[in-house]
Amino acid sequence: MLWVDKYRPRTLDQIMVHQDVAQNLKKLVTEQDCPHLLFYGPSGSGKKTLIMAIICQMFGPSAEKVKVENRTWKVEAGSRNIDLELTTLSSTNHVELNPSDAGFQDRYIVQEIIKEMAKNRPIDTKGKKGFKVLVLNEVDKLSREAQHSLRRTMEKYSTYCRLILCCNSSSKVTEAIRSRCLNVRIKAPTEEQIVKVLEFIGKKEGLQIPSGFAARIAEKSNRSLRRAILSFETCRVQQYPFTSNQSIPPMDWEEYISEIASDIMKEQSPKRLYQVRLKLYELLVNCIPPEIILKRLLYELLKKLDIELKHEVCHWAAYYEHRMRLGQKAIFHLEAFVAKFMSIYKAFLIATFG
Amino acid sequence: MGKRNTLVVLSSDDEGERSLSSNHRYSKSKSSSTVPRANPKRSKKARGPGSTSSLSKESCNWDEIRFFCEDLDEGLSGCKLATGSGRSNKKELWVDKYKPRFLDELAVNKKKVEEVKLWFEERLKSSKDKFSSHVLVVTGPAGVGKSATIHVIASRLGATLSEWNTPTPILWQEHLHNSTTGIHYRSKLDEFENFVERVSKYGMIPAFIDKDAKSSMILLIDDLPVTNGRVALGRLKNCLYILVRSTQIPTAILFTNYGEADSADHTNLYLEELQLSLESAGACKNPQVAFNPITHNSIKKILSKICRQEQHNVPAEQIDLIAKSSGGDIRQAITSLQFFCLKPSLMRSLSLSSPFPTLFNGKPDEVNIVDSGISLHFGRDETLSLFHALGKFLHNKREIENTMELDGDEFFVRKELSRLPLKMEAPEKILCQAHGQARPIADFLHENVQDFLSDEAINDAWTVASYLGDADLLLATFRGMLARHNEVENVLQSAAASVAVRGVLFGNFHPLPPRWHAIRRPKLWQIEQSSLSNKKEMVKRRYDLSKGLSSSDATAIAIDYTPLIKWLGFGAAGGRETCEGNGKEEEIIDMMNLDEQESFSDDEIEDW
Repeated sequence: MLWVDKYRPRTLDQIMVHQDVAQNLKKLVTEQDCPHLLFYGPSGSGKKTLIMAIICQMFGPSAEKVKVENRTWKVEAGSRNIDLELTTLSSTNHVELNPSDAGFQDRYIVQEIIKEMAKNRPIDTKGKKGFKVLVLNEVDKLSREAQHSLRRTMEKYSTYCRLILCCNSSSKVTEAIRSRCLNVRIKAPTEEQIVKVLEFIGKKEGLQIPSGFAARIAEKSNRSLRRAILSFETCRVQQYPFTSNQSIPPMDWEEYISEIASDIMKEQSPKRLYQVRLKLYELLVNCIPPEIILKRLLYELLKKLDIELKHEVCHWAAYYEHRMRLGQKAIFHLEAFVAKFMSIYKAFLIATFG
Repeated sequence: MGKRNTLVVLSSDDEGERSLSSNHRYSKSKSSSTVPRANPKRSKKARGPGSTSSLSKESCNWDEIRFFCEDLDEGLSGCKLATGSGRSNKKELWVDKYKPRFLDELAVNKKKVEEVKLWFEERLKSSKDKFSSHVLVVTGPAGVGKSATIHVIASRLGATLSEWNTPTPILWQEHLHNSTTGIHYRSKLDEFENFVERVSKYGMIPAFIDKDAKSSMILLIDDLPVTNGRVALGRLKNCLYILVRSTQIPTAILFTNYGEADSADHTNLYLEELQLSLESAGACKNPQVAFNPITHNSIKKILSKICRQEQHNVPAEQIDLIAKSSGGDIRQAITSLQFFCLKPSLMRSLSLSSPFPTLFNGKPDEVNIVDSGISLHFGRDETLSLFHALGKFLHNKREIENTMELDGDEFFVRKELSRLPLKMEAPEKILCQAHGQARPIADFLHENVQDFLSDEAINDAWTVASYLGDADLLLATFRGMLARHNEVENVLQSAAASVAVRGVLFGNFHPLPPRWHAIRRPKLWQIEQSSLSNKKEMVKRRYDLSKGLSSSDATAIAIDYTPLIKWLGFGAAGGRETCEGNGKEEEIIDMMNLDEQESFSDDEIEDW
């Protein structure tokens, strides 16, 4: 088992990073009825861990016995019948799913599947905990229509069912949903916190950590605890005992993007654009989300760019990121950004060097 | 063909023959060939009265008119005994009436006709064993005069033409009726098989042909039975093989090839396969004769000749229009012309049977009035294949200089935004002809457009990319909405297609000089498929690894876990590589069925 899973805190009391949030949530769950919750924050900050801990707090250890189910749902939509395949993770008291996996049919997931789950109210002998918890991941990736349906579902079934929503950016969740939930912002852990966690794991595993090594991992991790722990483990596999200047393996997709960036800087032509497209396809095939590709690409390009172009390039990156979100096929917009950058940069080169 | 039918129609047809032979200077010496000439006509005509009641149920306007004409014809031929030989000729369908009788009446290219004629002549004159093959394959679109050519050549050579036509289809009701009376159903293929067997065993001995004519005979196979499915196709192939191998009579097999636009249709594929198998059976060593659509001018010539003979005063522009809209289909053109001349007033007077066509000639303006209204109702719509249309868009052919005059400065365009006029029809019209769906069109353009940009023009690349992005936005606007938005969606679709196409045309300011390009299938489709399956795979592997204790969304897995797992070599050796070569995606690609057309060449585009 990976260390990320092995040392994941199971209860609210065990939580190390967001102790204050955890304590508040504990109070909320034990003392009164829990409202709908919306967790948002950068990836690797511990949203999922918190959610699982809350569920544990609510239902006791039975919530930890989960099973993975890959079910096909038949949804009647107007005159057609649609088959939707969706993976769910469920225990007796909670169901976790990722509605945005259904792509543009996410609306049906929200309307039908959640409705059906919310209807099946678990019967408790005491008649006390008569509600189910639905955990929805990546709510910010839901389409507008799906978010509207979600709002209605929330109101209609609020007596039987609590929704816990989880997303990276609350700005992509509609106001209507945000106002119906208790918003909990989970900020990324600081580097000191990450170092603390790494040292905790090191102690449990019985490892000698040279001074400064954990700090370097924390620095490289971009304040993502998950990545920090994962690269910590990778380092352990690569070389042990640690040396303080040991290299930390980079993410391959990040390297790939920086390769693309240097390709773009070297030549600006339709032919090169085509080569870039093929490389972008490679990334997309490996499920790297296009937004992250764009962000990372911009980051890499900015590193190499003259100061006076930075503003314009950022503007266009934002512009195409927005269009990517509105559009259907990300590659069209990613490529448009690359083409625009090439065009700007070429004009700049001609203006500067003649 | 049942015998009963033959008897019924025989009388009327003979009459028609005779009237025609009196019309044209039909030499008596060839009368021996006129009798068998009636044969194909008979079989064709017999379809009409035999199935009028059932077919007219389809209530296609055109059919109604056709059958009305035929009924009229029937009625007239019924009472012809009373009226005698003085009956007028114009009640017949013009297509039949003006069927070419002589070689020089054919609208087909002279060289083609000569080629076919020569082939038959050689085979009829010299000894049987001299030629290895006795089968000629004639291909061409509908209505270019394939059968007419064979007919005329046969009569010219004084040969007896015996024809295989697929029998009339049996309707379900008929079938039910038949099965109660104990008649078994036989498929057309069965009948064709029988026919071929007979021919190969006994030669051609139709009962009604006198023995002298036996020396020179031509077999014409016009209508191959429609096959559905592999098994039937195999049988048909086998049949044809036997035919090709065994026949001693010069045989012409006609293939009608439908437009490329219908290439989704499987019959086309079957036909190609049949042609290939015929060739391999040694159908004819010389390349098969392919008839092209008849030229605009010769259609016009024929039409005006008919007009002269019918004494209808049809304006030249009208004839031009009909000829243009027929798309090289002479049969279509003639029927259109007849339809055009069949004005209500004309109909009425026809039923009054007042044989004074001069009466209408005095009102040419009336023709003009109807002209505008009726001109839209006939002719066939031209279709383009998707690839042809894409080729047009991508090559972006423009006039060399701006011939359009700027009238006034209300449409003043900045110089860098102005483009030379397009050397094609409006892009929307082309889209319409190609039945282009917005999404695939955008995908195809996106995939291929960069090949057509000049190397320096990165700015153009950006313009094109941003327009394609606009098209994508339009397409995404109402995605997944309910059916009630259909209308909106249609408008959006056409708008998106238009934006994509015009964006490509506009953006490609410095197109490469035309050269050969293969059009690729969008790689994007494959990427989407495999990315989806990869995602599932990843999520599943993640669940397995964490023993179901925790879950993560696909993003986190892709970004954080997968690289790590690769480093660790955790059971998932080379996760990326294995995922890409997924078997599933290949299946899907096969289904898309577009591969065969990938090598659509530039030359073909140039030809048009």
